[in-house]
Amino acid sequence: MFLHNLKYEIKLVLRAKSFIIWLMLFPIILGTLFKVAFGSIYQNETFDTIPVAVVKISENEVFDEMLTALTTGEQPALKAISEEEAKAKEMLFDGDVKGILYVGKTVELSVSGRGMTQTILQEIVGRCRVYETVIRDTMATDPSSLEAVIKELSTEVDACREVPVTQGNPDVYVQYFYNLIAMVAICGCNTGLHVSIDNQANQSVVGARKNCSGTPKSINLTAGLIGSCISQGVSMIFCVTFLRFVLQVNFGGNLLLLYLCSVMAGCLGVAMGFFIGSVGRARFEVKVAIAMSISMVLCFMSGLMMGNIKGILAETAPWANRINPVAIISDSFYCLNIYSDYRRFLTKVLGMGIYIVIFTILGVLFARRKKYASI
Amino acid sequence: MKPTVVKIDNLVKRYGELVALDHFSLEIKEGEIFGLLGPNGSGKTTTINCLLSLLAYDKGEIEVFGREMTPTCYDIKSEIGVIMQNVAVLDELSVRENIDYFCGLYITDKEKRKACVEEAIRFVGLEDFVNFRPAKLSGGLLRRLNIACGIAHKPKLIILDEPTVAVDPQSRNRILEGIQELNRNGATVIYTSHYMEEVEQICTRIAIMDKGRKIAEGTKEELKGMIRNTESVSIEILELPGEIKEKITHLPHVYETEYDGTKLTVRCSGGKHNLIRILAVLQEAELGFGRVYSELPTLNDVFLEITGTALRDSKE
Repeated sequence: MFLHNLKYEIKLVLRAKSFIIWLMLFPIILGTLFKVAFGSIYQNETFDTIPVAVVKISENEVFDEMLTALTTGEQPALKAISEEEAKAKEMLFDGDVKGILYVGKTVELSVSGRGMTQTILQEIVGRCRVYETVIRDTMATDPSSLEAVIKELSTEVDACREVPVTQGNPDVYVQYFYNLIAMVAICGCNTGLHVSIDNQANQSVVGARKNCSGTPKSINLTAGLIGSCISQGVSMIFCVTFLRFVLQVNFGGNLLLLYLCSVMAGCLGVAMGFFIGSVGRARFEVKVAIAMSISMVLCFMSGLMMGNIKGILAETAPWANRINPVAIISDSFYCLNIYSDYRRFLTKVLGMGIYIVIFTILGVLFARRKKYASI
Repeated sequence: MKPTVVKIDNLVKRYGELVALDHFSLEIKEGEIFGLLGPNGSGKTTTINCLLSLLAYDKGEIEVFGREMTPTCYDIKSEIGVIMQNVAVLDELSVRENIDYFCGLYITDKEKRKACVEEAIRFVGLEDFVNFRPAKLSGGLLRRLNIACGIAHKPKLIILDEPTVAVDPQSRNRILEGIQELNRNGATVIYTSHYMEEVEQICTRIAIMDKGRKIAEGTKEELKGMIRNTESVSIEILELPGEIKEKITHLPHVYETEYDGTKLTVRCSGGKHNLIRILAVLQEAELGFGRVYSELPTLNDVFLEITGTALRDSKE
């Protein structure tokens, strides 16, 4: 009876429209959107060679040397195009070049508009002016030390040294993907809700029919919960696999533990839904609305819709992050990725486990009734 | 004497101030098709829910197959098939899967269950729709699926709670014939309905309910024998002087006459040739009349005479 029930419970969940939409299509769509959005941010951070027009007013050997250095090499900073002033202005107007360098005794820059490229050009010209002044002063005062000065100028001195704090991926945008996985997990509450509703005679006609059958309620409930957890686990594995291997999101750390953790998070979603379904006697639609509203609020509080909300809550109401199941789920992924020891991760996993146990026990206590005051 | 399958004794169920079942008692013997007839809100479904141990009740005793019925009597529940008033199937499963799923809640043996499922499909005539999902079925087919889910495990006691509500006449006839066939195959049937024609057509014994009480019980002949009315004569007549109506009222066996301007209704109690005597009075007065009907009493007349309201007019 149990295996028969379990088989059909899994079938029921996997075929449910809400399962296909929220647990299969939703992570694909939202994950892809995240990837596209964050991908373009990274793309903007890559450096491209900046085309500039060079208008020579008079000879400037020092700057010519510097320009040669800036326009050669593996990834040159500038691409210089020598032009007459009128033609250069036309090119700037057409957007073929990002600025015009007027090279005379001093170097002047003309750009159209503002932006990252213009700022970089401004910085380059500023540095050139400083170097030019230093070189000219050296030539005038102590020409013998010119070589040493040029060598010194071309040497990059870094006051900071980069030391990696984690073996994982420190990218802040990965947090959004953690939140997405956490949301998929918590959407499992819809599945858990069905287990409760479909087994209570005063909640659904199917529940009434099951309660009239020769199968004990405990078997129906157990099969329902295990079946839902298995189905939810499948959706979690699918979600993580899609994000990791199709969208190439780098979750760092231990992938096997990430899978296990996400399956556990899915079970937490199921248990939460089961609890909501078992408490009180509202219509099915009302309970679905309650479950979805709670899920969305918890997801919002964990930063799915607004990245910095978690930080705000950490300052104003730190307890909120500690008790929010979605935040616990996403934090567990974060801890797994960032920290080399598993202490923090295990604390979060323990939190999830406690929630699963509490929700399941309370749900069973409410749903175990066998006789009803009214149907 | 056949054994008692269901015994309900002095059952009381209250919803706050409302008394849904008022010291209701019943005894159903093996092999019967027992009809629970009553208007909406009379307590039929409450009785069934108490019988199935779904609903807690305030007072009384319920025995099924000679044993007290409790929620954990799974062996007794295994012998009961329930067809709910509302269709109780799972939308995500096909017709065959639905029947198999619910049958599996009673029968563990795979081969036996498979045979039962196929038999149930044939029984309700859903062979051409086995792979359809419930959403694709018409109302009548859906009701048949609902019945198949309830009877696939071949229960000894079948409870049908208004299974023909919102069903087309063709499907209704098929359902009623099916119930009689199940009974012929050995099942005891409890059939609740507010359609007196259905109850009259298939039930061997009937209990009439009103306001949570049993107001009459017996075979349909016994029930009809409980009332004064044995024949109702209706005559279409456009003009009926008062003295002629009075004369008809004083005919032997006539106990009530009603005239609404177009139709004269005469209710008789016992006696033969009532119609001939009434027509003779009209002919003697040289009054023209149209169509003439003579009807035997129905369960509605029984209900009307006992409660003072018509069964079909009663509201929840």
